[in-house]
Amino acid sequence: MHDLLQYLTSRHWEPAPEWLFLIPALLMLAAGFAAVVLRNLIHCALCLTLSFIALGVLFIALGAEFVGLVQLLVYVGAVSMLIVFAILLTPASEVAASNNPFRSFNLSRALNAAVGGFIVLLVLGGLLAAIAFSPHAQAAVLPTTAATLKPAAIGQNLLTQTLLPLQGAAILLTAALVGAALLAKEEKQS
Amino acid sequence: MMLQILLAISAILFCIGLLAALTRSNAILVLIGIELMLGAGNLNFIAFWKFSAHPELLTGVMFAIFSIALAAAEAAVGLAIIIQVHRRLRTVNINKADQLKG
Repeated sequence: MHDLLQYLTSRHWEPAPEWLFLIPALLMLAAGFAAVVLRNLIHCALCLTLSFIALGVLFIALGAEFVGLVQLLVYVGAVSMLIVFAILLTPASEVAASNNPFRSFNLSRALNAAVGGFIVLLVLGGLLAAIAFSPHAQAAVLPTTAATLKPAAIGQNLLTQTLLPLQGAAILLTAALVGAALLAKEEKQS
Repeated sequence: MMLQILLAISAILFCIGLLAALTRSNAILVLIGIELMLGAGNLNFIAFWKFSAHPELLTGVMFAIFSIALAAAEAAVGLAIIIQVHRRLRTVNINKADQLKG
C-alpha cells in the first residue's frame, strides 16, 4: 500500500492528450441517439441521463469545471428525475402497444419519419458545411493564456456584471416552479 | 481544428434532438429532444468561450449557466403541462391533442 502511494506520488504524469475529450463526446452522441430511437420510455430517460452525464464530463474536460458540475447537478439530478416522474405519472398506452414488434405498417407514421429525417439531414448538412467552410472557425486557435475558471470569479461576475440577469433568472425560476405546481395540481371537480 | 470538431459534435447532438422533436409522437420524447438541443447550445457556448480571445471575461460560461437554469424551468413547466394534458385527454400523444377547447 505504501509502495503504491509512493509510486503514484512520485510518478511524473503526462498531460492528458488532446483527443481525450472525444470519449465523452462520442458517448454523449451515442446515448443521445439511443434516447431518441428507443421504444421503451424508461430506457429513453436512462439513456438521456447518460448523455447528460457525458456532456457534463465533456464540459469538465474542456476546462469549464463549474459549468460541468452545474450540468451534473441540474440535469442529472433534477431534470432526469422530473422526466422519469412524468413518464411514471403518465402511463402511456404507447408502451404496451409498441412492445409488439409486428405492428401494422402505418403510412402516416412512415411519412412522418421520412419527412422528419429529411429535414434533419438538411439541417445537419447545412450546419456541418457552415462549420467546415467558416474562416473564423478554421482560424481559431487556443489562446496562449490558458483559461482558468475559478468559482470565485464566477460568483464575483454574477454579483457585479450579471446582477440584473441573475435577479431575472431568480424571478423566472420562482414563477416557473409555482406555475408548474399549479398546472400539475389536481383540479377540484365542481 | 479542435473548435471545428467541437462544433460538429454539437451540430450532430442538435440534429439528434431535432429528430426527436420532429418525428416522435410522444410529448415526453419531444421534450427530451428539446433538452438535447439545449445541451448542444450549451456545448457551443463553452467551446466558443474556450477559444475566445478573452476567456477571463467569462461571457460563454455565464451564458451556459443561465441557459441551464432556463432549461430547468422549461422542463418543469413542460412536464407539468404534459401531466395536465394526460389527465384531461388520457394520452400524451401530441397528434391526439389537437384542439384548444378544454
